[in-house]
Amino acid sequence: MRTLAIIVLFGLVMAVLPVFGPTDFTLSFLTLMLLFAYLGQGWNILGGYGGQFSFGNTVFFGAGLYATVIVQVQFGLGPWLGLAAAILAGALVGLFIGWVSFRYGLRGSYFALVTLAFAEVFRIVANSVAITGAGAGLQVPLDPAPANLQFVGRESFYWIILALTVASLLLVWQMERSRFGAYLIAIRDDEDAARALGVDIFRTKLKAIVLVGALTGLGGAFYAQMFLYVDPHIAFGVAVSVEVLLVSIVGGMGTIFGPLLGAAALHLISEVARETMGNTPGLNLALYGALLVVMVTFLPKGLFGLATVSAGRLFKFRRS
Amino acid sequence: MKKPTRSGNTRISRRSLVKGSASLAALTALGGFPQVLRAQGAAVKVGVLHPVTGAIAFAGTQARIGAEMAIEEINKAGGIKSLGGAMIEPVFGDTQGKPEIAATEVDRMANEGIVALIGSFASSNTLATTQAAAKHGIPCIVDVAVSDKIVGRGLDNVFRFSPGFGKCSEDALNNLVKINTAAGGIAKTVTIIHEDSLFGSGLAGLLNKRLPDFGFEVIETIAHATPTRDFGNVVTKLRAAKPDLIVPANYYNEYVLLARTMLQQRVEAKAVYSVLGGAASNYRFVKEHPKAAQYIMDCNHWADPRKDGTKALRAKVEATGKFFTYEIPMNYDCLHLCADALERAASADRAAVKSALAATNWKGMIMPYQAVEFDETGQNIHALPVNTQIIGDDIEIIFPEDLATAEAVYPMPARG
Repeated sequence: MRTLAIIVLFGLVMAVLPVFGPTDFTLSFLTLMLLFAYLGQGWNILGGYGGQFSFGNTVFFGAGLYATVIVQVQFGLGPWLGLAAAILAGALVGLFIGWVSFRYGLRGSYFALVTLAFAEVFRIVANSVAITGAGAGLQVPLDPAPANLQFVGRESFYWIILALTVASLLLVWQMERSRFGAYLIAIRDDEDAARALGVDIFRTKLKAIVLVGALTGLGGAFYAQMFLYVDPHIAFGVAVSVEVLLVSIVGGMGTIFGPLLGAAALHLISEVARETMGNTPGLNLALYGALLVVMVTFLPKGLFGLATVSAGRLFKFRRS
Repeated sequence: MKKPTRSGNTRISRRSLVKGSASLAALTALGGFPQVLRAQGAAVKVGVLHPVTGAIAFAGTQARIGAEMAIEEINKAGGIKSLGGAMIEPVFGDTQGKPEIAATEVDRMANEGIVALIGSFASSNTLATTQAAAKHGIPCIVDVAVSDKIVGRGLDNVFRFSPGFGKCSEDALNNLVKINTAAGGIAKTVTIIHEDSLFGSGLAGLLNKRLPDFGFEVIETIAHATPTRDFGNVVTKLRAAKPDLIVPANYYNEYVLLARTMLQQRVEAKAVYSVLGGAASNYRFVKEHPKAAQYIMDCNHWADPRKDGTKALRAKVEATGKFFTYEIPMNYDCLHLCADALERAASADRAAVKSALAATNWKGMIMPYQAVEFDETGQNIHALPVNTQIIGDDIEIIFPEDLATAEAVYPMPARG
């Protein structure tokens, strides 16, 4: 229950933040941070809890992004249908990749490479076919109105992504306590042992990847509505795949708050580096990289691990 | 096998190090953010936003150089006189080549109080920055981004200084036909080698559609990814196809590699003709690979070499050991255009500067445009590309005639 209380408290504190009049930059910064915390949570379900490391989560993100934009631009339908299409597209892509990979028992680095390859295949296809606008991409006409899911102010997008992030935290909290979550963790810890105990490995993994696909697809739809433009590089480039992986690893894989902590830390470090040495191009990224190396080397359990250890020590200290 | 152990002290010290780093980062953050809000006297802040890191960092860095040189010049000449000699203070930003970062950078710059924004080179980034800037009422002078989707979205804060993709490709086709016709229509067959993203694919599609209308036959279209590190097979195909014209549409590294491989395999054609070619209008290519670069033609952005301003800027850039690429004069002009608008607006109010930009009729540029005047979509109606050709150790303009500094060498002589 303590975890649930933290999630609710986090949601409430963050939700009232815009009332105190933060700058647009602060809101944009937090929106991007929460977006990657949300997308990272998707990776965390399959990679952190299920032990299935994906190097190509952008494939779900891109599918959702393209689905939202195509529904609006090519079929002239509204953004709400676009959202539904994004969730469906993400889930279907998840189902397809999951079916193909898990059916043939791919795991570990083989599964990672297959997801990477799928992302590249999707990028090339998006680059070549007319419905995606090929290399030129597609643009949603600018028409700011809540009915069009386009907002002028930064607050609306902030609240939407905050709601999605809190929902993803609650989902993972619930998952941890469910039979499905237990199966997933059992598969991560020892797949053969889990099978011996009667866990349906294929079905559980497939469920997880479909869930991740749907969640990440919805994240793609959010990006589409915010920036109103998609091209193959934005949708299926490696940047998103790498970042969702990083936020989870740095924050703590297989933990509820890992991706959120990771996204907060990485975005803060990146911003601090840019603020302090922004006029020397590249130096901020070098510092960012160096800090990343330090974190990954010295914090194998991520920031969440550090926080738990510190809290444990503090608790012990107080008791003594 | 014995597992390596760590002493308790070492472990604590390492963790302390991490904690220390985190604390340092947090403290720096607390000290860093208020910088955003620091007041800057009477100076006028102008945002200069380019991809100075990431995959297209070279072009972004060049663009920033042009902007910096213009600002230095404007300030040295007394700043904005109608604002009591207010200096232009640049607020630099880095898009990293990512739209979401680009949009966040605009919000940061808006907080810092910029009056106008110059940038941001790549089309996908510029689509995001102009949209983000619209919310703050910040006028945007678009430097290079060619996507025709940038203008005509109903955003009244967008002013594109340069020609769009449609104009560039249309002029490239027309100029090619004129050059070929003047030489007796010697070229009939074409092979297009293009990279597979927005720029290359778009251009290949357009050329495939339009070239047959002008009597050319496209015998092969070869796509490749970026990066590609070997063009051996592509060039072998070229040797077999023997096209009269080779049209490459790729970014710098691939362009150079392709040109070198064509030279090595002694591919002979009537011309190598690029549109917005990655290296074809780049002195670095000319200097580093003079033989492979020889006689390559391009239709691209290029400064008017007859103007004193161009000569002075080129000399200044080359004196710093940098290459004079088109991003430099274009951003140099964009900053001067911004200064002109500020001068006329006589105000550092964003709306006033936007109105002044909309009413622009400016002729002080070093790019070969007649003037800068924006239509209702925000497109400079006089913007145009020119045809260049690498001849000797220089890049000459060969078309249109009134700007030409040299006669086109067409068909190109054997280079082997």
